[in-house]
Amino acid sequence: MSLILVQILNGLQYGLLLFLAASGLTLVFGILGVINLAHGSFYMIGAYMALTLTSYTGDIFLALAAGIPLAFLIGMAIEWLFVRHLYKRDHLQQVLLTFALILVFNEAQQSIWGNYPKSIPMPSYLSSSISLTPELGYSVYRLALMAICVGLALLMMFVIQKTRVGRLIRAAESNPEMVEALGFDSRVLFRVVFAAGAALAAAAGMLAAPVESAYPGIGERVLIISFVVVVIGGIGSIRGAFLGSLLIGLADAFGKVFVPKFSSVLIYALMALVLVLRPNGLFGRS
Amino acid sequence: MLKAPSIRALVVLALLGALFLALPAYVGAYGLKFATRMIILAIFVVSLDFILGLAGLVSFGHAAFFGVGAYAVYFVSSESEAANVFVALGAGVAGAAVAALLIGAFVCLTRGFYFIMVTLAAAQMMFSLFHDTDIAKGSDGAYIMIKPDLTIGATTLIDFDNRTTFYYVCLALLVASVLALFWLARTPFGRIVQGLKANETRLSALGYNVYQFKLAAFVVAGAFAGLAGALFACIDGFVTPELFSWHQSGLAIMMAVLGGAGTLFGPILGVLAYVSLEETLKTASLVGSFVADHWRLGTGATLVVAVLLSPDGLAGFLRGKTVPKKVEPLKDVMPAAAPRKARALATRDLSKSFGGLRAVDGVTADFAPDLVHAIIGPNGAGKTTFTNLLSGAFRPTAGQILVDGENIAGWPAHKIARRGVGRSFQRTNIFATFTVEENARIAAQAETPSVFRLSEGTARENQIAKVAHALSVVGLADRAGAVAGAMSNGEQRQLEIAMLIAGGGGILILDEPLAGMGPEETRRVVELLRDLKSDHTIILIEHDMDAVFAVADTLTVLALGRLIAHGSPDEVRRDEKVISAYLGGHAPAQGKGAPA
Amino acid sequence: MSANSLLEARAIDAFYGASHVLRGVDFRVGRGETVSLLGRNGMGKTTLLRTLMGLVPARGGEIRFDGDDIKGRRPSAVARAGVGFVPEGRGIFPNLSVEENLIFAEREGPGGRRDWTREAIYQLFPRLLERRANWGNQLSGGEQQMLTIGRALMSNPTLLMVDEATEGLAPMVREDIWRTLRLIAERGVAIVVVDKNLDDLKKLCRRHVILVKGEVVFDGPTGELAARDDFVRSQLGL
Repeated sequence: MSLILVQILNGLQYGLLLFLAASGLTLVFGILGVINLAHGSFYMIGAYMALTLTSYTGDIFLALAAGIPLAFLIGMAIEWLFVRHLYKRDHLQQVLLTFALILVFNEAQQSIWGNYPKSIPMPSYLSSSISLTPELGYSVYRLALMAICVGLALLMMFVIQKTRVGRLIRAAESNPEMVEALGFDSRVLFRVVFAAGAALAAAAGMLAAPVESAYPGIGERVLIISFVVVVIGGIGSIRGAFLGSLLIGLADAFGKVFVPKFSSVLIYALMALVLVLRPNGLFGRS
Repeated sequence: MLKAPSIRALVVLALLGALFLALPAYVGAYGLKFATRMIILAIFVVSLDFILGLAGLVSFGHAAFFGVGAYAVYFVSSESEAANVFVALGAGVAGAAVAALLIGAFVCLTRGFYFIMVTLAAAQMMFSLFHDTDIAKGSDGAYIMIKPDLTIGATTLIDFDNRTTFYYVCLALLVASVLALFWLARTPFGRIVQGLKANETRLSALGYNVYQFKLAAFVVAGAFAGLAGALFACIDGFVTPELFSWHQSGLAIMMAVLGGAGTLFGPILGVLAYVSLEETLKTASLVGSFVADHWRLGTGATLVVAVLLSPDGLAGFLRGKTVPKKVEPLKDVMPAAAPRKARALATRDLSKSFGGLRAVDGVTADFAPDLVHAIIGPNGAGKTTFTNLLSGAFRPTAGQILVDGENIAGWPAHKIARRGVGRSFQRTNIFATFTVEENARIAAQAETPSVFRLSEGTARENQIAKVAHALSVVGLADRAGAVAGAMSNGEQRQLEIAMLIAGGGGILILDEPLAGMGPEETRRVVELLRDLKSDHTIILIEHDMDAVFAVADTLTVLALGRLIAHGSPDEVRRDEKVISAYLGGHAPAQGKGAPA
Repeated sequence: MSANSLLEARAIDAFYGASHVLRGVDFRVGRGETVSLLGRNGMGKTTLLRTLMGLVPARGGEIRFDGDDIKGRRPSAVARAGVGFVPEGRGIFPNLSVEENLIFAEREGPGGRRDWTREAIYQLFPRLLERRANWGNQLSGGEQQMLTIGRALMSNPTLLMVDEATEGLAPMVREDIWRTLRLIAERGVAIVVVDKNLDDLKKLCRRHVILVKGEVVFDGPTGELAARDDFVRSQLGL
């Protein structure tokens, strides 16, 4: 019983982190029309920023406060340098350029931080565990992490539904040309959306760092699972990304317990199933 | 469509071939192994080019089949005895083909972004399968104890343990693979595969089941990747889950594009260029130790620049001068008469809703054989939706569509096309990268739309006759060699009509065939429609009222999705409802023209 | 350029793909002037509006708006200079509510004018007030058209370009749109209209321009248009 409870919590936690990463990916698809393979690299950068910034500030949350704006700036720079040249090009060139970016990011990571996994300390005041049931304890940091993810997800929903920027984003999703013809410079909008996606992915990487540490290849793992999430949820749909993330998170958590060797395969099988039943994903537009 | 390589490209390839033939005499063991690896990689990347460059499907999971091919050799090898070369390579090809069939069955349901992501995920699944489980020793990888050989009686003819023999086998298989894929691309099957890239919608409107063609191309490419994988396993006799790695797939795309995707020989150049670049950047004595330490940074950066600057790849430099070939005007020959596939069309309460909007609302109409039936109505009246229902591009929400009494509502587009309903599109919809003749040929070939047609067979003469006839009828006989996308809008619309004629449908749906045509072209098409109706039933959507009244036998008026009048032009002209709802008080003949 | 010109385009060339759609078009609109743009299907009317808006690049010639050179500017810059655009096919945002569609475009016009507020738009189109909480895709064709016009006005433009606003609408609704356009013109906004209904255009516009194969073949006031009825009818295919 308590095993199931723990796995539900682990699954939700993983799913929420995935959501932060996948929502940026799906937004960038939906609005910029770019398939960004380097999206996972922002997650990786986040994890390593957590390492460095925590060592300076001494606290993961201070690191987060500094790291998110930093990731936003990095995102803007990447958009300006590379991604903006891809808007009018075909998928193939998008895939190629962003794949090449991965190679560059990976090499940069190995040059700066090396090849070995690095652990990031949890804040001491959250490193204890609390008992959920008499025989079951759960890490306080993990609970805090989930709370922060939920907070960020709610903030994102609020921004999209209720603010001026959100209106722009929704409008650009359906008719970017008209947004431009009504006086909004879509270059600025695209840059902000891309940077926001990068910042969300980096935030996920930073939050996860004390739990799963930072290691080479971490971003690519997240990227591929984020793709699965987006396929399940439907391209461009935030709601779909949310549901898909939780679904994958839970499937992964339970798969690891019940079919440990096939837990990854299980996730892809889930994707194949969705694909057959709903080729455009759960919330995708046909 | 795929052209034969230019003279310049052939010279370069011949020089490379000679170089590789002579290579074993000049390099040591390391160099030979390096060259072998490069050749195998070339087979892999060329196989990717078949779907990537020719069919236009960006597969990010091609390494899955490379990996399966390699593991297949492991599975058929025993610890005590060498496997037969044919068994080993055959297992690689067959295993990869089966994997491609299973994976392709899912991924070919998708397109665009989804295709990229799903192929990537599928390859990653294979990686997990071999990495996380105990199959073939799991993540550690496994050794093939004795490499395959070919022994007849007591003599060993081919031994993969012999580096030089193995090298030449690989080289021969590379040449054979390129030639085989090249040949395949030029068969009727290959023509359709390339049509997938040029215009998928058009293919299904012509009667081809695009899913089957995608899947077939996917399996072909997978099988050749399997061959490459099987050879790769024989280099070191070692297989590891890393063979499935998505980096492998990504690098293959890189090399294909770097060399020139869609040429089948370009990828070979891409492999050479990429591998040389990597080797150079790794060599400290050439580039200094700092660059050599960070060689990945160098390759990544070089590739970023290459993608941004050169979309055509290295093969672009080897393109022959484009001297337009003089093509003799085709002579009009009457093709053999075929039984008429469809004659009469009717709808019963046909409806289509999008969300809450009823775009087509309970339309019941009969379109008798061998007449021109014009459908008119203001923009937004549902005319194009109506044609999309008739041709199967949209599924009706309710109601029936009867072709010679048979209800075809809900059939997929390609099946309706095969039943004898041809259509043109509002926006010209041709295979822009194909020549005029190839366009018409693809349409004529649709009479036998089965997947594996590797030779034209007995239908060849008749197809050529059909093409010649169709092009003559629309007045494009002297333009057969022109690239369709480069012609004027009016000519492209004429080509679309030629494709319908060559396709042999008995019922033709023409959506604004006169849009953008000058008076001369308009007159010609109106004449053509008059001729065609002797053996075609024509549904015409057109804004040009002069033309409509000149050619139509019946008029159907739609407004807000409903049929408000249906009858002879004279009856409709006098209809009160039409005058108030559509023509807005103007006399019919001065009705609105068309949207700009 | 003449002193009271608002928009002045000279010798404009534009291409759609490979086809040469506009061939040396001259087109001007005075302050507060109403101009119709006529021509058969495929003659380049929509392309001209899109080129003026900056959505299609002009290959040659010059475009000045309010004295500034706007050729080669982004559409957003053209819009902010004071050009409102009502495209063919309406282009409402289906996933924004009616009210959000309007708020979206809200901005001061050139010279800080704020003539058009949400209240003013709702006065102009009472239907929109009733449906303000509905999503864009829940509107009828006529309501969508009203919303597109209202949305363009929210940016307080000095020039409104309207492409086929009455296409596909019921006669009553069309009448409504024409009446509203006349009201807008009376408030001093210059208007360029592409439409098929010659009679209604004559009532709204003082000057008329006919495009044939990407060239201007007629540019004159309503009186001249009426006087050369045969020529006009043959050029428009009536």
